[in-house]
Amino acid sequence: RGFSSQSEGEARVSRILREKFPRASSIRVVDISGGCGAMYEIHIESEDFREKRTVQQHQMVNQALSEEIKSMHGLRIFTSTPK
Amino acid sequence: MSRVVRAAWRLGFAAARGPVGRPLSQAATGAAEGGGAAEGGGGGGGGGSGSREAVERLVRAHPVVVFMKGSPEQPLCGFSNAVVQILRLHGVEDYNAHDVLQDPDLRQGIKNYSNWPTIPQVYLNGEFVGGCDILLQMHQNGDLVEELKKLGIRSALLDAEKDQDKK
Repeated sequence: RGFSSQSEGEARVSRILREKFPRASSIRVVDISGGCGAMYEIHIESEDFREKRTVQQHQMVNQALSEEIKSMHGLRIFTSTPK
Repeated sequence: MSRVVRAAWRLGFAAARGPVGRPLSQAATGAAEGGGAAEGGGGGGGGGSGSREAVERLVRAHPVVVFMKGSPEQPLCGFSNAVVQILRLHGVEDYNAHDVLQDPDLRQGIKNYSNWPTIPQVYLNGEFVGGCDILLQMHQNGDLVEELKKLGIRSALLDAEKDQDKK
């Protein structure tokens, strides 16, 4: 996203993820609904995901954002573990 | 963003969905659906089609079961369409597809059952595998071919590769 500042929604979702995944080595949240907060794309890399199936990793992110998700139309999740 | 604008956005979505069966632009309908507010809250699936027992029956009825928006012939959401296309690439055309737009109880019930907030949802052999992003990943890393093999389904991509080797 270059040098543009984060939207309020992106900042809030990022903050929640940082709190729920303190071990995360990388967190990136992008509003893909044109800034409307309706849909986000989440990229998160953390040791917490090691040895877990992808659906379990995504489930962890779902739980962390369960309140936020209620007001979203959708979200895309991309999880990974540090190399 | 102001509450007024956000409310207008939600109304826009609701209006854009329209009656089921009318093709809607995928940009308008957006994608994998979110959880509560726009859908009138997340109460239990209630009795009937959204109950745990009813959903259990559906996911076990066939090796490949998909809960989506629209139908395989006419998906009404970009992410649901992606699932249909990926399955088609693997030659999987025989599966049970359930249009959650036709059944609000099922729509909520399936989310409760899998504890997963979005549609589409893919079940292989009665087990929740994931949504569109996960299916795409499985397609890209070869896992989908393996999972289909376990179900006794031979992916069409295996035959496609063979043809290429012959040349």
